[in-house]
Amino acid sequence: MRVSLSWLKELVEIPDLEAEELAHIFDMIGHGVENVEVLEPQWTEVYVGKVLEVEPHPDADRIRVCRVETGRGPTQIICGAWNFEAGATVAVARPGAVLAGGLEIGERTIRGVESKGMICSERELGLGDDHTGILVLDGEPEIGSLFADHVELPDVVFDLDITSNRPDAMSILGIARDLAAYFRTEYRLPEVDLTTVPGDTSMRVDIDDPTGCRRFVAREIRKVSLGPAPLWMRHRLHKAGFRSISNVVDVTNYVMVELGHPLHAFDADRIEGDHLIIRRATEGEVLVTLDGEERSLHPDDLIIYDDVGPTSMSGTMGGERSEVSKATTRVLMEAASWDPPTIMFMSRRHKLLSEASIRFERGVDPNLSELANRRASALVAQLAGGEVLEGYVDEATGTFEPWTVDLSNRDVERLLGPGIESGEVREILQRLGMKVDGDDPLKVTVPTFRPDLSRPADLIEEIARIHGFDEFGATLPRGPAGGLSPEQARLRRLLHSLASIGLHQAIALPFVSVDSLTDLGWEGGEEDLLRVRNPLSAEESLLRPSLLPGLLKTLGYNLARGAGDVAIFEVGRVFSTDPDPDDPRLPAQPRRLGWAVVGEVGPRVLESPPLEADARISRAIWQYLARSLGITEYTIVPATSPGLHPWRTAEVRIEGQVVGHVGELSPRAARAYQIPRRVAVAELELEPLLRPVPLPQLRSPSPYPPVDFDLSFVVTIDRPVAELIKVTTQAAEGLVETARVFDEFKGEGLGETERAVAIRYRLRAQDHTLSNEEVAPVREAMIRAAETVGARLRGAQ
Amino acid sequence: MDPIAALEEIAASAPGLVAAAGTLDELESVESALLGRSSRLGEVRRAMGSLAPEERPRVGARLQEVTRIINELLAERREDLEKGEEEKRLRAEAIDMTLEAVTFPRGSLHLIQQTIDEVVDIFIGLGYLVADGPEAELAWYNFDALNTPPTHPARLESDTMYLDWGAPEDEVLLRVHTSPVQARWMESHEPPVFIVVPGRAYRNDTIDATHLPVFHQIEGLAVAEDITFSDLKGTLLHFAREFFGPTTTVRLRPHFFPFTEPSAELDVSCFSCSGSDPNCRVCGGSGYIELLGCGMVDPDVFEAVGYDPERVTGFAFGMGVERLAMVRHGIESMKHFIENDIRFLEQF
Repeated sequence: MRVSLSWLKELVEIPDLEAEELAHIFDMIGHGVENVEVLEPQWTEVYVGKVLEVEPHPDADRIRVCRVETGRGPTQIICGAWNFEAGATVAVARPGAVLAGGLEIGERTIRGVESKGMICSERELGLGDDHTGILVLDGEPEIGSLFADHVELPDVVFDLDITSNRPDAMSILGIARDLAAYFRTEYRLPEVDLTTVPGDTSMRVDIDDPTGCRRFVAREIRKVSLGPAPLWMRHRLHKAGFRSISNVVDVTNYVMVELGHPLHAFDADRIEGDHLIIRRATEGEVLVTLDGEERSLHPDDLIIYDDVGPTSMSGTMGGERSEVSKATTRVLMEAASWDPPTIMFMSRRHKLLSEASIRFERGVDPNLSELANRRASALVAQLAGGEVLEGYVDEATGTFEPWTVDLSNRDVERLLGPGIESGEVREILQRLGMKVDGDDPLKVTVPTFRPDLSRPADLIEEIARIHGFDEFGATLPRGPAGGLSPEQARLRRLLHSLASIGLHQAIALPFVSVDSLTDLGWEGGEEDLLRVRNPLSAEESLLRPSLLPGLLKTLGYNLARGAGDVAIFEVGRVFSTDPDPDDPRLPAQPRRLGWAVVGEVGPRVLESPPLEADARISRAIWQYLARSLGITEYTIVPATSPGLHPWRTAEVRIEGQVVGHVGELSPRAARAYQIPRRVAVAELELEPLLRPVPLPQLRSPSPYPPVDFDLSFVVTIDRPVAELIKVTTQAAEGLVETARVFDEFKGEGLGETERAVAIRYRLRAQDHTLSNEEVAPVREAMIRAAETVGARLRGAQ
Repeated sequence: MDPIAALEEIAASAPGLVAAAGTLDELESVESALLGRSSRLGEVRRAMGSLAPEERPRVGARLQEVTRIINELLAERREDLEKGEEEKRLRAEAIDMTLEAVTFPRGSLHLIQQTIDEVVDIFIGLGYLVADGPEAELAWYNFDALNTPPTHPARLESDTMYLDWGAPEDEVLLRVHTSPVQARWMESHEPPVFIVVPGRAYRNDTIDATHLPVFHQIEGLAVAEDITFSDLKGTLLHFAREFFGPTTTVRLRPHFFPFTEPSAELDVSCFSCSGSDPNCRVCGGSGYIELLGCGMVDPDVFEAVGYDPERVTGFAFGMGVERLAMVRHGIESMKHFIENDIRFLEQF
């Protein structure tokens, strides 16, 4: 909300402060300053003048010769405007003046006639766009006085961010009240001087929807003549950010800014009949609003009807049919208080956020309606020459009484700590417009314009705000025991482990399309996915059931920008349509870990060929991670998974439970994602990885020497080496310290599905030196064990 | 020849011969030429037996002396040559250390993750636990329990994403802040409560430099029997100093949030210019950076989770992680955080 200092000063006394100091005060009482505009007159040497005589120019048709008094004796000025005659009060730039845009005014001769100065238009003064004629002043400003004084310049406009709990502060009055409390001065209401003519309005109003409308006040004003509003009002509205429309419409805006109560002016003659009904709309009804839009009404819309149908959208925007226009002579001035949620939903439904609707949706005090109406009617009478009928409409659907809140010293101290005197508490509340009785607890009567104050905590906020947040000390409480849970600590370790081998953590948006999943070989339909009812875009209305689409999209993004090697991982939630085991009211949303790696991985050595990512890299990443996390009880079992290479994928099982897959993207999926490379991928449930593992217990390194030997087995590709190592190790009855595959060979001398796997075993006893005699039968036992899983010693038949 | 004269001659010639050896191999030849069996010295040694007994001690002593001198010369020369040869060998092994011939890959944690961890650690130091909660959340926890009634504009579809799931009375949405975890935690834990909640939040915003539909927040909550507004201020001051530097000052400005009362926004003094640069890129010349929202927990929130607002008080705060990272690292657009461009990720 744009608040000009000059307007504010009309309602409250403010000490002489720099704009910056005032801005700081606004910030510190909770009205955040978004902008400060210091307005200076864009002219020098402009005075109020009176046109004494106007005569035609002897030698030109379009311009006239004026004699103007500006307080130093009559001066002759040539003027090209025709919107005034002798007697008009005008703004005169004396010779030597500089106007908006740097125009310098001097003495000159126009077609043989001398001209000393200029009569100014609004545009020449930088006050507005009007250049159709010169600016004619109204009222009786003192001739020869500085023109700037009559448009309240210089001035400062503060653009304030009024929080949504303070509808009262969306007005000059409300801000004045807060400043009065802050500066410990007084604020005042504007003076309203309404003269009425006898007679009752013929208008009747029925509120058929008592929830929607709290109060409806309407005055009829006759013999109105529409025209421009006076300069002072136009200029105040201009500073407040409003466009000037006409005297009547400007008055409604003026009073809204001043008091915070929106108003609407009907052309009473364009209301059909003399009976207005306020009720919810009926499906299928249409209303053309002021902006010319035809709006289909919703059954929850609250509408004002006349004899032939909808004529105004309450609190949001008037109807075109009953709009005031140049022809209007009879005005029905409405000041109504509407139900906030009704207006909020209606204005948003029709995408009609107006200055009125934002005030109504926050709550406009029904006890202010009559004053606002009186103020506006008086101004219309004063500025548009109307007669206000004495009898007016005032329908209410309830009584709106102030309420009382008990505030004890203890309440204040519990929240704010010691140090605020009860005298100060009382004074702050009183200055904010509350009535304070009693001692402890204080009985605080809250006026109806502060709907935000219903509990002690609300009042305490007011006390803190006006006392000053800066005044409070800073103390540091400490919790009883802090720290990461074991799972949280393990997650950190997991993240750092992956980063330590070259993977970058990514954070992808969790929205996916069905196509992005179908490309991964997913066979379900949209109904199997969790859907956002009101998505950002139709293509991405589904929540991911897997991390892979996001990871692959990220790979594609980087490859498209010239990256050759990309290694990324993500930890995040995936979503399913199953109920969450922890809270069945929610969909399941387990956390997962996924990675996708393309291109060179591992340490890079200048002269060595690069190590390119493939399924083995996924396996290696898993193994590194498992070791970092101390997970020893896991198995890798060849498996298949949609979107993954059928022969390059394995399940990871921890204690028998499948926690996910590691492997390589299938070529089909890679093509679909336009990644023409091998992509190492994995997706694993996170929680099993974070489960604490038993603390490792020391196995003393044996001081005795080891025995190393190699065994080379021939085994088909579908018999996993892990199995081979497992059975041979078991056969050695605890003597195998390490078993490491150091060669894998396919080809000559071997069957098509066969390969030779060379394993180096290191055997060591904990308590003695192994002898050859001891090792030989163990070796034999290991070979026999290998045979049980389909392996034969290479070279043996 | 007189053996003594012979020895003198040998001694005189030795330095020249030793010095002439340019390699260790040559030195070996010189050594055998000087000391070997067939050397002149060897001849003198062998002839010792034929000398008169009274001659022997004198010649013997001189012989030993010359042998010692020659050995010293050889040793000295050997050391020089070895040093030289090693130098040559090392030179041949020269590696251009400015060349990155081997690189270990270095991955990275996302800047958002790093920022979260850093903030969380500060609060762990103050005795806070770390809590987590669902992202697809009940409207009850996201709004109602936080004093945001069904008529609040934040609940409109233009702001909040709702899910097609579950029973109509248990409306499910993508949480718009991490605050529902406050309510969940308090429901299942007795005070005192000191928690921080890092996590994702969702808003129905299109992506631009200052908006993301998915972003991160860190929520804090402290509830005990005697928590005051000054405790809130002190806690945030401590955080700001740990995070932005020890000379940081803070400023609380009154604000409005449905779930706190009083509510405030926290500004911290600009870590970049301390208010001295009217064109500061970080604070825009105001000297302050708007950082987070906070306040004293609203009594209605306590009621909703079954705490007695007559018995406990507390404060809560919530900060945008993206914003923290942006102000600290000069990041101009939030888009960077979700694009996952490696060239962005690897910088941090």
